[in-house]
Order: sequence, then C-alpha cells, then structure tokens
Amino acid sequence: MEWVRFIIGSLCILCGLVIALIAAFGLFRFRYAMNRMHAAAMTDTLGILMVLLGLIVLRGFCFDSLKLGLIILFFWFASPVSSHLLAGMEVEISDRLKDNCEIEETERKGGST
Amino acid sequence: MTISAASGYLFGGAIIVLVLIMFACLLRAIRGPEIADRIVAVNMLGTLTIMIICILSLWQKESYLLDVALIYAMISFLAVVVLTRVYLGVHREHMRDQAHPACAEDGTQSGETDVPAADPLSAFSAQDSENASADGKGGVQ
Repeated sequence: MEWVRFIIGSLCILCGLVIALIAAFGLFRFRYAMNRMHAAAMTDTLGILMVLLGLIVLRGFCFDSLKLGLIILFFWFASPVSSHLLAGMEVEISDRLKDNCEIEETERKGGST
Repeated sequence: MTISAASGYLFGGAIIVLVLIMFACLLRAIRGPEIADRIVAVNMLGTLTIMIICILSLWQKESYLLDVALIYAMISFLAVVVLTRVYLGVHREHMRDQAHPACAEDGTQSGETDVPAADPLSAFSAQDSENASADGKGGVQ
C-alpha cells in the first residue's frame, strides 16, 4: 500500500518535471515573447499542479497538504493575472507586434466604423 | 526503510532537474531581446523555485518551509505586477517626451492639454471628409 502511494506520487512529480522541461524547451524554441508567454504559463498552472499533487499524495492527508493546495490555488489565481498584465505591456510597447501578430486589419476595421 | 531511500533518490533527482531548468530560464532572462521575455523568464524562475522549496520541505520534513513557499508565491506575483507597471509608466513618459519635446521642456499644462486635443480633432475631420467624399461618389455613381 505504501509502495502504491509512492509510485502514484512519483509518477505525478515526474509528469510535472516533464511539463517543466517542455516549457523550458518552448522558451527557446519560440521566437516571439507572446509565444514564450504561452510556453511559460504552462509551468505556472499544469506543472506546479502536477508536482504539488504528487507531493500531496506522498505526504498524505494533513495540514501540510492543505498548504500545498493553497499554493496551487494561489497560482491558479495569480498566473492568468500576471499573463494578462504582461500581454498588455507587450502590446503597448512592442515595435515588432505587427510583424508577428495579425492585428492590422481589425485595427483598420475598428477605425472606419 | 527502503521507501525513504527511494523518496530520497526521487526528491534529489527532481531538484537536480529543476535546477537545470532554472539555468535554462536564467539564460533566457539574460539573452531575452525584449523586456517581456525577461519578465516571463523571471516569472518561470519563481515558479520553479517554489517547486524546489516544496520538494525540500517534504524531503527534510520541515513543515515551515511550506509557509515560506506560500509567501514566496505572493512576492513573485507582486514582483511581476510591479515590474510591468513600472516599466509601462516609464515607457509612457518616454513616449510622451519623445512626441512633444517642447511640452516636456516647458513643463506647462497648457501645452499638454492643447496638443493631444488637436490630434483627435484632426483625425475626426479627416475621417468626416473621407466619408463625405465616399458618399458623394456613391451618389454620383
């Protein structure tokens, strides 16, 4: 029974590590900051969920697992907000935005109507 | 007895992999061509640090490290918000000074209220003339 719990927890932790590796790969593979933001936000939600879920399974049901769940909950609230702020900053300051995103046509449409 | 040894190997290997990923993020934070790349890399560094603190807390069986991880999560989120806001304010001020250097040198409020008010008016008048010409053409055709 102990070994079953250990194997389930370690599989969750390994899954989270693989997701973090994929995000680090995407941080170098993509060419633009918006795409890199997509890759890095995967670590903030799914990666930390998998690692901390594995730790909860390994630790068992006690006060520590409540704290780990609170960390997951806080990240799921905070990560979309920070991504939104970063995307807004990138839209406002970037010079290469029109080369990488197709926004020119909608902007013209909004100006004419 | 063996399960503690196996969990030791698991936690040690996980921390080593996370540290390697952190070095990759640090490289992106140094090399990033834009400021958004750097902030994204710093945000991911904070996430990986929290993962390491949580793993270390279970490895050493120190429960207070989870409180440290919770506080670190809040400070990491606050760092991203503050960096974004500060850089956006600096950029807006820089763009305003670049667009109207005379206003920046004078520092008076009259110039600032005068020049941005002129831009929408001219844009609206140009748009109206375009619409009027288009209507006229439509009427002729």
